[in-house]
Amino acid sequence: MEKNFKQTSRSGSIPWLLQRISAVILFILLLFHFITYHFLTQTRSVAYLQVMKRAQSWWFPLLQFMFLITALYHGLNGVWSVLEDYTTSKFWRLVWYSLLLTVGTVLLFVGTLTIIKLYTLKIA
Amino acid sequence: MYKRTRFYDFTYYNFIGTWAWVLHRLAGLALIFYLSLHVWVISSLTYGEKTFNEVMAFLSSPLFKLLEVGLWGVILFHAFNGVRIVVVDFFKGSLVQKKLFIVLIALAFFLWALGSFMLLRHAF
Repeated sequence: MEKNFKQTSRSGSIPWLLQRISAVILFILLLFHFITYHFLTQTRSVAYLQVMKRAQSWWFPLLQFMFLITALYHGLNGVWSVLEDYTTSKFWRLVWYSLLLTVGTVLLFVGTLTIIKLYTLKIA
Repeated sequence: MYKRTRFYDFTYYNFIGTWAWVLHRLAGLALIFYLSLHVWVISSLTYGEKTFNEVMAFLSSPLFKLLEVGLWGVILFHAFNGVRIVVVDFFKGSLVQKKLFIVLIALAFFLWALGSFMLLRHAF
């Protein structure tokens, strides 16, 4: 009995809650993102100056970075919960978990670099 | 002992909730795959106006517009079924989860049609 209670801290209830919190944040951010970047910029060509101007306003790095970490967390934690359902061996769980962590780190690095580069790029 | 539910146990597929669960997972996996590509491709927009225009021209072809319409549909399904999950988990939505699914998917379908029109109006 006692042993079972000790294991509740590893029950996954915190990732479960974070998955739902990130879902609510993403619901709002993603609809906003789609409206501004996919619907309203739809002309024959996407204007470079318009995009760069927006990428260099003060709120852009903050919002995009928040968007990036929320989306990566939600997505990779989602993949993890699918894998957890079908992987019972401790070895393969470790392999998958490490792989997801690596993918997450690489994408976080690439994404953050893009945000910083867009923010600091000199517009001709 | 309870019998473990497995995804290939077809007796569960008579329920709307099972389909929602399966499709939610598949949509989620598709979306994290897309997010990885998205982060990668967007990073190439930081090399100045020439590269930016080349990449955007490539992504504005009718094929990519159609894929974007599909993406918008997958996002809306995942997002609106996600609302159902949050309502079920936090607001006793399990009592009305089937009705909720139909109402939310109808709403998502409406937004999908609206968004698809916005995406395709300049495409061809």
